Amino acid sequence: MKKYRTGLLLVIVAAVTLEVTAVIQMYFSQKGIKAEASLRAESELEATQCEILDVIDQAESAVKNNVWIACWALDNPDSLSAVCRRLIENNPVVMGSTVALVPGYLRSLPLYAPYVFRDPSGALTIRSLATEEYDYPAQEWFAKPLESGEGYWSEPYLDEGGGDILMTTYSAPVRDASGKIAAILTADISLDWLSDMVGGIKVYPHAFSLMVSRTGQIMVCPAETLVMRRTVDEIANRSGDSASIRLVNQAMRSGTSGNLPVKYKGSKNYVYFAPVERTGWSMSIVIPESDIYGTLRRIGGLIWILQILGLAMIVLIIRSYDRSQTKYKALSEKKERMENELHIASGIQMAMIPKIFPPFPDRNDLDMSAAIIPAKEVGGDLYDFYIREGKLFFCIGDVSGKGIPASLVMAVTRTTFRNISAHQDDPALIVTMMNASLSESNENCMFVTFFCGVLDLENGRLRYCNAGHNPPMILLDTIHPIEVDANIPLGVVADFQFSGQEITLRPDSAIFLYTDGLTEAENLAHEQFGETRIESALHGWRCAEEHLRNISDRVIEFVGEAPQSDDLTMLFIHYLGKENPHRIILRNNIKQISRLEGWVEGIAGEAGLDLPTTMNVNLALEEAVTNVILYAYPEGMHAPVILTADLSPTAVTFTLSDNGTPFDPTAAPEVDIDAPATERPIGGLGIHLVRKIMDTVAYRHRDGKNILTMTKNIK
Amino acid sequence: MEVTIAHQNDEIIVSLDGRLDTPVAQEVAEKLEPLKEEAGGTIILDCSALTYISSSGLRIFLSLRKAAAAAGGKVIVRNIDDNIRGIFMMTGFLNLFEIQ
Repeated sequence: MKKYRTGLLLVIVAAVTLEVTAVIQMYFSQKGIKAEASLRAESELEATQCEILDVIDQAESAVKNNVWIACWALDNPDSLSAVCRRLIENNPVVMGSTVALVPGYLRSLPLYAPYVFRDPSGALTIRSLATEEYDYPAQEWFAKPLESGEGYWSEPYLDEGGGDILMTTYSAPVRDASGKIAAILTADISLDWLSDMVGGIKVYPHAFSLMVSRTGQIMVCPAETLVMRRTVDEIANRSGDSASIRLVNQAMRSGTSGNLPVKYKGSKNYVYFAPVERTGWSMSIVIPESDIYGTLRRIGGLIWILQILGLAMIVLIIRSYDRSQTKYKALSEKKERMENELHIASGIQMAMIPKIFPPFPDRNDLDMSAAIIPAKEVGGDLYDFYIREGKLFFCIGDVSGKGIPASLVMAVTRTTFRNISAHQDDPALIVTMMNASLSESNENCMFVTFFCGVLDLENGRLRYCNAGHNPPMILLDTIHPIEVDANIPLGVVADFQFSGQEITLRPDSAIFLYTDGLTEAENLAHEQFGETRIESALHGWRCAEEHLRNISDRVIEFVGEAPQSDDLTMLFIHYLGKENPHRIILRNNIKQISRLEGWVEGIAGEAGLDLPTTMNVNLALEEAVTNVILYAYPEGMHAPVILTADLSPTAVTFTLSDNGTPFDPTAAPEVDIDAPATERPIGGLGIHLVRKIMDTVAYRHRDGKNILTMTKNIK
Repeated sequence: MEVTIAHQNDEIIVSLDGRLDTPVAQEVAEKLEPLKEEAGGTIILDCSALTYISSSGLRIFLSLRKAAAAAGGKVIVRNIDDNIRGIFMMTGFLNLFEIQ
């Protein structure tokens, strides 16, 4: 749940960041674009304004230039129409002109206003405006300049007679010499160019221009039918959004410039406006907001879509990361658990097999040791042994495969071995029954190579059965693999009848069992350790423990840096045979020396030795054995020392043999028994006593054994 | 093997009872080790009950003798039987100790 919240938080942060960035960007982009639009609109307005003023100026100049001429012509009113005519002829924009006398200025002519104009054919025609119906003094073009004494631009109007052309009239007062206004000179200007000029402004695709007069009449707009027929106010009234239009209208009519937003027909527009000086007109450019921000909004939309996609991607990534994290966590937990279980399994497995050595510290007839080195945490190798009714039951096996499955089968095999051998002495039968049991439940087709032996410790009779396992090595007179029948491994054929064999182990012979992890131990050059190396490693007598250590060392040295490829299991059984009146087996322990006395007394009795001689012989043997115990074996090693006695009518020959470090006690220098106390060495007395007491003492080292022969003559 | 140590008239009397063989030698040596501090006096090893002695036992005797020689004292071996006397003879110990 926490992970989910973290993911959600991440997405929210990303979304907020993206949105805020986008909004800021949009804001500044909009500002920039708006500024750009304003700039464009304003510069267009300015440019157009200049063009309009240019025409306006022309018209004003034309009128003003003729004011003086008209002034002179006042004395001769008939010539006034000529002034008008010249004004028109000289100025193409002027469509008509009049000089209208101020009523009463000339008593002879109370009303006089000759009007010269271009007729539709282009010819100049003259007409009098001084009619009762027209009443020119009441007209705006006459009254306004008369009143103000300044030039005046009239409201634009449609020239109904001249083909609905938009016109405007500029009128200026004509003063006589005394400065009194005598007449008003006018020039009618066609404004048809205005709609082309203003309407041609196209700053944006859907932008349009609008020009209004000081009364709010529409002078230029895209809908020509509205020109001079509608006021802006009327349009405002018709649309639902009148307020903003009125506001703009007001601003425009007040002769200011600027821009204002306008809602028209539901959409927002920006109106940029500027006045045309002197005329009272106001020009504007209406730009729909969609035109200004259209591109930006399209880009904005695109960005938004990209953001959504990006966020979706983030969500997906987080989810897949979460999933993989969860999966990874689950996997590592699983792995940890597996490792834990492996440890436990390994512990259980190791607990199953006897691994305290010496296994039978109270027995002098057996010296054995075993080692199992699994290649993985738990292995499929097994060995087992125990003594029942004076018989040593032992086995070694190798389950196909490694790891947990193999170890499980190993555990089952070992249990089966124990169960069946508990009431069965014949190895062939044990193996046959084990095979039947293991085959029954062997769904995974795992098999076990197996060797089972039963050694009668009374007489050295070894019965054994081999089920496809490496034949063990026999250390009798020579070292060689034991002969085995070609039986198949366990777990393959349920009703297979396994055959057994037997040999007799002489006392002081041994059997070495191993798994193929030993023979097939490989070095980096992919050479295998092989049987030959085993045989040579077994040469030289050692105690069981030393044998295994020696072989392990050799394998480790041989393999070098190469990884251990298979479980390695070894079992060494040294059968020492029974003790008898002529044979005593002592362990490598000083305390065992106490057993000597009784044994020596037995021999002495048989040989008829007197008491002092018996004690001396005992002393000599004790010294010899002590020597072996102290020097032949590493301290604490449970190794055997065998002492035998051969009786003849004339002598008793004692033979002491051990498998320890070669050591010749007879080579020790003689002790100087005449030396003073201070010069006497503490040691060396033991050998001296042996020499003194025994009649002959001989040492030899053969087959890795120390053999000390001591003879005591019978007198 | 029983070992008793008794102080009597400036003498230390060590009574050895039983077999002084290798298995017990270590223990006996440890028991007698403190005597080396008093080796300036007279140490009497009473062997009347000693039935057997191996080289490990002889070594204890010898080391006491050496300590006594160094400290100016003496070690007297008393009441050895013929068997042990034989061993003493074989090892030259008869010359090293005052035998009573």
